[in-house]
Amino acid sequence: MSSERGMSLIVKTTARATIPLIGIFGAYVVSHGHLTPGGGFQGGATIAGAGILFLIAFGFGEMEKRYSHGLYSALEGLGGLAFLGAAMLGLGVAFFYNTLWHNGPLFNGRPGTLLSAGYLPIMNLAVGLKVFTGLVSAMVAIAAYRRWGE
Amino acid sequence: MMLPYLIVVPLLGAFAMPIIGLLGEKAREAWAVVVTAVTLGVAVEVFNTVWRGGILLYTLGGKGPLGNGVSFPVRIVWEVDLVSALFALMVTFVAFVAVLYSTEYMRHDTGLEKYYTLVILLEVGMLGIAITGDLFNFYVFLEIMSIASYALVAFRNDTWEGIEAGIKYMFVGSLASSFVLLGIVLLYGEYGTLTMAYIAKMVAENPTFTAKVALGFLIGGLLFKSGAVPVHMWLADAHPAAPSSISAMLSGLVIKIGGTYALARLAFSVFSLGINVRTMGWVIVLFACATLIAGNAMAVVQTDMKRLFAFSSVGQIGYILLGTGIGLAAYGSDVGNLALAGAIYHTVNHAIIKALLFLVAGAVIHQIGTRNLNELSGIAKRMPVTSFAFLVGAAAIIGLPPMNGFASKWLIYESSALFNPLVAVIAVIGTAFSFAAYIRVLFTFFGRPSERVLTAREPGKAMLVPMLLLVVAIIIMGLFPWYIGDRIMVPAAKTLENTGAYILALTGGA
Repeated sequence: MSSERGMSLIVKTTARATIPLIGIFGAYVVSHGHLTPGGGFQGGATIAGAGILFLIAFGFGEMEKRYSHGLYSALEGLGGLAFLGAAMLGLGVAFFYNTLWHNGPLFNGRPGTLLSAGYLPIMNLAVGLKVFTGLVSAMVAIAAYRRWGE
Repeated sequence: MMLPYLIVVPLLGAFAMPIIGLLGEKAREAWAVVVTAVTLGVAVEVFNTVWRGGILLYTLGGKGPLGNGVSFPVRIVWEVDLVSALFALMVTFVAFVAVLYSTEYMRHDTGLEKYYTLVILLEVGMLGIAITGDLFNFYVFLEIMSIASYALVAFRNDTWEGIEAGIKYMFVGSLASSFVLLGIVLLYGEYGTLTMAYIAKMVAENPTFTAKVALGFLIGGLLFKSGAVPVHMWLADAHPAAPSSISAMLSGLVIKIGGTYALARLAFSVFSLGINVRTMGWVIVLFACATLIAGNAMAVVQTDMKRLFAFSSVGQIGYILLGTGIGLAAYGSDVGNLALAGAIYHTVNHAIIKALLFLVAGAVIHQIGTRNLNELSGIAKRMPVTSFAFLVGAAAIIGLPPMNGFASKWLIYESSALFNPLVAVIAVIGTAFSFAAYIRVLFTFFGRPSERVLTAREPGKAMLVPMLLLVVAIIIMGLFPWYIGDRIMVPAAKTLENTGAYILALTGGA
């Protein structure tokens, strides 16, 4: 079946070149979420786009070898836990109180620099991780679901 | 301040479930039970605080809700009055019981790691709706609750009915949610704020036509979610198709928190100062009367046990809406207060009773494998404890005096008779239908054993203990009806009616 083996040589070669670029761009969007438009969800969805390109270009057979359900599901949980953890850092004052920004020690640089905005970069990374793993898992699950009848 | 833990604990439980799940089956069941038990403990503590100390205001992300140098709220607030705290307690109790029950009931199914994650997320959504004081935050929690319940209704995706009911519920529910969102968008466009108490103040000062349109959308969407009559069709499919532990949560909690509670909260705390409450009340009373009659009458003709219970839930939602509607239409009088107290009381009672009835249905299906009432005669001989639990549940839902359903229905009958005799007659007709429906099931249970039933046995402890917990709750609440009514339900109704105090807790107290 062609869906198991993927697409033509041209598509595969182009995918080899573009997947790292899409991944890097997505990582950029996630990590600069507090400075430029975008953020955890947008960047996470972009990186998941690289995963889906891999799935379509190389086929489900290749994806099956490189995808581990346990790992992705654990990472998705980890993303949620990191978000919740960041929200709980300032629980002494209030839930979601941005204590990192108000009294450090990390992420309290000058506004506009990468290490500013308190818990926001952490939350962006957490959301990005969750969205990426969640979307890729969902697409793999749909691709793996069942075959059309013979 | 324990309030944030009401959300933090179950969220932690849900996010950690995929990681705990790697340790194996026992670990994830134990984790789910522990998480829901701890949440129940937190809810007891929050209820106690609110009961003694009045409205609790919690601001996310700062010390107070007001912005720097401005006099309006800029942050998300959680505002917990006695009604919210009571319903949070009810949600955590039923969720704990349902999770305990699932440890045995769901053992034959696959994908249980997702099941427990979804159940705990369902609980998060309902708790969030109960405690929030922000309209958009309310919408987000409503969607968390709704999406978790779509997935849980269709959880057994190898059965055709699970998929069918799931699709129907998802389409109808998404449409209803978008009505709610549209209502919120209109309010935001008109008044420029999303904090419920602050919108209440703005609506009181300047009730515009847009606010009325928004109210129409909100009431429409929330009547969908509560399963009121013209839009109840999803409910009668969704509740039978879900696993029974989930039906117990859907029927006991979801339609009330996402439907009637949200409706009462918006009507009383947001719109009651600016919009004519009599009109609003009569609209709800009309839907309530239709719901009462149609729901209970449809329950009589069912042959499927879970479908019968589902239609009975529609009928009981009618009573809750009736109490809420009279509470609005007779706003400020003793009759209105009594009706609202009855509605709040009946919400709690029906949550416990209907959870019990669905758990009984689950036990019967689990042990015998059919839910067709024509094949189930004589269960009482082979499954006495389960049948006893059903007897208690049926007596309570009809409203026999030693059970908890009596006092709450009495409050609703009494206030509706004082409000308008015709409405009271409709309420009594509804109960007559409900009586007929449950007597039929009772005769089936206590008849001569049929072939199918001869080899049946009682389910294990993990299924019997949750049922008995609910039976004990029903009987204890039934023994002190007026004490509970005077100490909790009437004050709760008073706090819900007192919109001024709700607004003042936001602007003045903090």
